Amino acid sequence: MKKLKFLIVFFLILIPCLLSGQNHAVKAITTVNAHSLGPQKLDNLPPVIAPLNNPQTTLKIQLGKQLYFDTRLSKDNTISCATCHNPAMGWSDAGPTSSGINGQKGGRRAPPVSNAAYAPLQFWDGRAPTLEEQAKGPVANPIEMGNTHESMLRTVQDIPGYVKEFEQVFGTSVVTVDLVAEAIAAFERTIVTTDSPFDRYVRGDDQALTKLEKQGLEIFNGKGHCTACHWGGYFSDGRFHNLGVNPTDPSNPDLGRFVVTKDSADLGAFKTPTIRDVALRAPYMHNGSEKTLEDVVDLYNKGGRTGDPNISPLILPLGLTKGEKKALVAFMTTAMTSLNPEVANVKPIPASELPK
Amino acid sequence: MKKLIALVIAIGFLEMILPSDSLAIPSFARKYGFNCNMCHTSYTKLNDFGQRFRDNGYQIPGQQGKEKNVFEGGPPVAFRTTFGYTAYKSDEGTASGFTLNGLDLLSAGVLHKNISFLLIYTPRIDVPSGSYLGTDSLNSNISQEGSLESVNLIFSNIIRDVLNIRIGRFEPGYHSFSSKRSYYLIQPYEVYNMTTPNNSYTFDDNQIGIEASGHFRFGFKYAAGFINGNGGNPDNNNYKDVYLNVMQTIGKGDGQSAGQRIGLFIYSGWQPMTLPGTVIGPTGSTNGTGNKAFYRYGATGSFNWQTLNLQIMYMKGTDDKAFNTMEPTMKYNYSGGFVELDYAGMLNNRLVASAIYNWITPPSYDSGREINAYSVLLRYYLGHWSAVNIAMHMEYTNRVTGVENKSNENMFLLGLDFAM
Repeated sequence: MKKLKFLIVFFLILIPCLLSGQNHAVKAITTVNAHSLGPQKLDNLPPVIAPLNNPQTTLKIQLGKQLYFDTRLSKDNTISCATCHNPAMGWSDAGPTSSGINGQKGGRRAPPVSNAAYAPLQFWDGRAPTLEEQAKGPVANPIEMGNTHESMLRTVQDIPGYVKEFEQVFGTSVVTVDLVAEAIAAFERTIVTTDSPFDRYVRGDDQALTKLEKQGLEIFNGKGHCTACHWGGYFSDGRFHNLGVNPTDPSNPDLGRFVVTKDSADLGAFKTPTIRDVALRAPYMHNGSEKTLEDVVDLYNKGGRTGDPNISPLILPLGLTKGEKKALVAFMTTAMTSLNPEVANVKPIPASELPK
Repeated sequence: MKKLIALVIAIGFLEMILPSDSLAIPSFARKYGFNCNMCHTSYTKLNDFGQRFRDNGYQIPGQQGKEKNVFEGGPPVAFRTTFGYTAYKSDEGTASGFTLNGLDLLSAGVLHKNISFLLIYTPRIDVPSGSYLGTDSLNSNISQEGSLESVNLIFSNIIRDVLNIRIGRFEPGYHSFSSKRSYYLIQPYEVYNMTTPNNSYTFDDNQIGIEASGHFRFGFKYAAGFINGNGGNPDNNNYKDVYLNVMQTIGKGDGQSAGQRIGLFIYSGWQPMTLPGTVIGPTGSTNGTGNKAFYRYGATGSFNWQTLNLQIMYMKGTDDKAFNTMEPTMKYNYSGGFVELDYAGMLNNRLVASAIYNWITPPSYDSGREINAYSVLLRYYLGHWSAVNIAMHMEYTNRVTGVENKSNENMFLLGLDFAM
């Protein structure tokens, strides 16, 4: 009898501990670098945390938005950030890979800018640690905007409207690459999608998801193994995996993250993209090799397309049925598409309204 | 009177065969926010992902060092219990009633990168609310024996995926199919539980010792161990038992839920002829003398097609003639195995249907140990996207023991099996 009493007391103590432990863990996750602690439950996005050295201000965000849509940052005045990270295309482009100046084709498609504020590293290979660093890259990439930082700065410095705005925002009329990048990054940190049917479901609206979408969510978090990488509020681990994707050019495969780390484990590995708004930005994978979400599900269901010896150990055949695939696609198509007006209604700034 | 005898036999039988340390560890699901079916085809059977997770020291494969350890998350504690209605019929009579089949407390997690632990404790429960064992010599009513079923540390990725070490009491890696994670609640893998004359070794037992295991990119896996071979008891001799299990998976997968896997295993053990020994060591061990050898060896196959999984195991056992109290001039040889077909269906594998045939063929002079058992089960899981951790379980077994004096038993269980 004594032992039974002990057991009862044990569980009375244990259960609140379990619950409180969970809460503490969640609190900790939202206040530190969420991605270093590994998988977390699918959830709403936490607030964006701007870096201390680049705080958000209204004027800075407005300046960043202008720069984001300004084709004058490119060598031939034809390409802006928005050309490849188009709000109308889920903040990516039509693909399969992105086009730069003079119609040049890149080897990868544009990763979505929406919710990129939550990514611990930027670019498909994670070579940029911050949005600020990322923003500097495409300007000087010969295939993308084809410019040089010096030439781009001369262009901006020669536009009085921009000089005035830089002075208002940063307190200096001397435009630098860092300041341009900070302004663009500040704008990008506002592109956050928080009002998908899934978000409303998690907030307690049981009607927000259809029965099929709820089934898809269960598959997503269970038999589909999606949350092994697409976890947390961001629906991404921000890490790098080789999925056994068909290469664009088998004779010259893209080495992915390996180029940055030189670690053979990273050969052919690319960053996990968020699932948020995924239906808006077909085709899929770093090289656009999967045309539809059905194709993507098929890739995972088969355990990858190739017999790549470096394929991630997370990639395994799933045994999904037709009905399960349908539910999974339904979940990703409608349940994950946000209706945030402040993001969905972002329109390119016409050239006539950009600083002169 | 017949009913009483049947009841006693039924309860004794259930107690003997019910998995006392079945594994499903919801604390992992809580830690990651995963649904149970991330790691299980359906709880309790592991899928390929779950198998890799286990092999990687309870770390997500390829992600070691990039996740919460036990000091950063909630308490890594879980429990599992089963209860339901059991009906039993034998030549002696019938018995039926509600049964509560004890409680397993489970804890597991990552201590530091590539160092993790597993602990399974079944507490002793004195009040007869579970599988009542009757009055013991101390005149207390035990419904569950206390036991530290598993407690071990795992050192993972010592050499990439190729070398991992497990130390403590653990489920030995010669089990290509885990009886701890079998769907069946009343029907065990009979050949795992086979005991031979004068030999206390049981294939099913968790063992104390050290095990090396690993897997290679081309689908090869191995486990090799060095253990006492005396279950959770102190060793009874100074010889140690050794084993090796090698498996090869063809195609993508680990053979649990995808790919086709075949394996070979051998266990070489020693048991003393003379007990107790004369030396009592600090571990309480006795140096039994006159150690004699015994072997268990066989082949396994796990074949997958869509959500069908066919598991086949064939094992032979050979004990030194010194063990053989029935025919002392001969080695004791037997064989046995099982063929199990599992189907997982409906959304997220919420429905499981399974059939299994178990057999044991002892030597002809010991035909009382012959077993032929046919079992079927259906499980349906309740839950939602964050967990499907409650199984409604229906199982039936027909078990025939012996040849000349056949004993025919029929068992039926309708119950709930849940973990949290």
